[in-house]
Amino acid sequence: MKKRLTLTFPRRSVHMPVTYRLAKDFNVAANIIRAQVAPNQIGKLVVELLGDIDQIEAAMDWMRSQDIGVSSANGEISIHEDSCVHCGLCTGICPTEALSLDPKTFQLKFMRIRCIVCEQCIPTCPVQAISTNL
Amino acid sequence: MRTIAEINEKISCLEAVVWTVEELKIKVSEIGVKRAASIVDVITTGTFEPMEASGAMINLGQTDPPIKIRQCWLDGIPAYSGFGAVDLYLGASQSPDNSDNEQGGGHVIERLIRGSSVEVRAMGQVTDCYPRRLLETTITRDTINQFYLFNPRNLYQNFIVGVNGGDRPLHTYLGPLQPRLGNAVYSNPGAISPLFNDPDLQFIGIGTRLFLGGGVGYVAWEGTQHFPLQKRLENRTPIGPASTLALIGDAKQMNARWVRGCYFKEYGPSLMLGVGIPLPVLDERVVAQCAVNDEDLVAPIVDFSIPRRIRPTFGLINYAQLKSGKIKVEGKMIRTAPLASIHLSRQVALELQQWITAGQFFLTEPVASIPNDRPFLPQDVSQLR
Repeated sequence: MKKRLTLTFPRRSVHMPVTYRLAKDFNVAANIIRAQVAPNQIGKLVVELLGDIDQIEAAMDWMRSQDIGVSSANGEISIHEDSCVHCGLCTGICPTEALSLDPKTFQLKFMRIRCIVCEQCIPTCPVQAISTNL
Repeated sequence: MRTIAEINEKISCLEAVVWTVEELKIKVSEIGVKRAASIVDVITTGTFEPMEASGAMINLGQTDPPIKIRQCWLDGIPAYSGFGAVDLYLGASQSPDNSDNEQGGGHVIERLIRGSSVEVRAMGQVTDCYPRRLLETTITRDTINQFYLFNPRNLYQNFIVGVNGGDRPLHTYLGPLQPRLGNAVYSNPGAISPLFNDPDLQFIGIGTRLFLGGGVGYVAWEGTQHFPLQKRLENRTPIGPASTLALIGDAKQMNARWVRGCYFKEYGPSLMLGVGIPLPVLDERVVAQCAVNDEDLVAPIVDFSIPRRIRPTFGLINYAQLKSGKIKVEGKMIRTAPLASIHLSRQVALELQQWITAGQFFLTEPVASIPNDRPFLPQDVSQLR
């Protein structure tokens, strides 16, 4: 199965090679979608874990035991329907085409599954209709 | 075939046949120009796009003791006050004096139209007529005398497609342009846009009543940079920026759905505005012109990496290709995005159609034509000696 998680690393855990341990100890592949890591600061990682369901659960328990915050409330882009004017400006800069215009209605479509939360759309939106919770 | 008076008679009896310009284009492809023209009375067009050459005239009403305002800020945005004592003009693209706040005149105009309150700070010139020096108060659209949009340039007939052939990202009035032809932005909604459907402005003139920001407005004058002599295709549509119109309308009746403050990162604030023009089907020519499709309209692809008045171009591209989401430039496929909202442009045309069908909006006879021979003068800076 696949599971997308937001991991929060306390300062003392930033040095830990987490993705290596996930692969070696739990046979879980961690695809890093987004990372905010710097020496001596709280780190954040958005990962997509791919592996056996029990192994992923075990990996999550192990990470919690290491004081890593594990949250399935992902860093996500959200579009405020009331503010969006469907101009489509964001669709030209979205690198994964998660944001696109419907070819018939020309309304904005957001395919969450494709989004890598690169956040380039946020400053591009002329009416500040896009935000992230990361 | 029909006069405007006859059309208005039908509107008042709720008998007028009103099609949006997109409905008309489909009908013409099915039944031809002649049949379509015999059925339809009015064709509605629309656009919703950033129009920074817009602004609001405001008369505050006089205070006691009275003030002759010489400097003024509305929610921190400077407004021009160099005319009547409490007359103000708030420009849509006006930024705050010294702040990186991503707000501008367009946002304040939107807030007033929304019915929100706005803070006024003003400094007066003390005279025997106007003794007050300072004014700090709060206004809403209901506590001011006049509040109307008077937009010196709206409804650009066609525009450009922006790309960036350089090697660093650019922040432009078309939004971000990524280096090495990373993306392309076009800003006109194409065949639904009002002035593409009357290319020589034969049926639109001074006094034409229209949909402006969800209220009723009028064509006031030719717009600034009006350039009807732009090169044109055989169908008379221009190959680049051409005619423009100055529009006026009562902002107290407008709806914030159609008047939206906006901000382009590292360029500045602007205003997105919905404008719709009804075209009276006086004869078959109107229908023939309105039958123009996205494939028949072109815009130049302009390289913003050379910051000069005349920028290099990569040739012309038609709007059908632009709307497909990808175009080929210099052998490279690049993604396109519009800046006009095609969805809301359609909604403008639909809303205007409903107004007319419901007998709430009547057409006007223009009182004068828009000039068709204006040159486009550059301003060449003369050298100081």
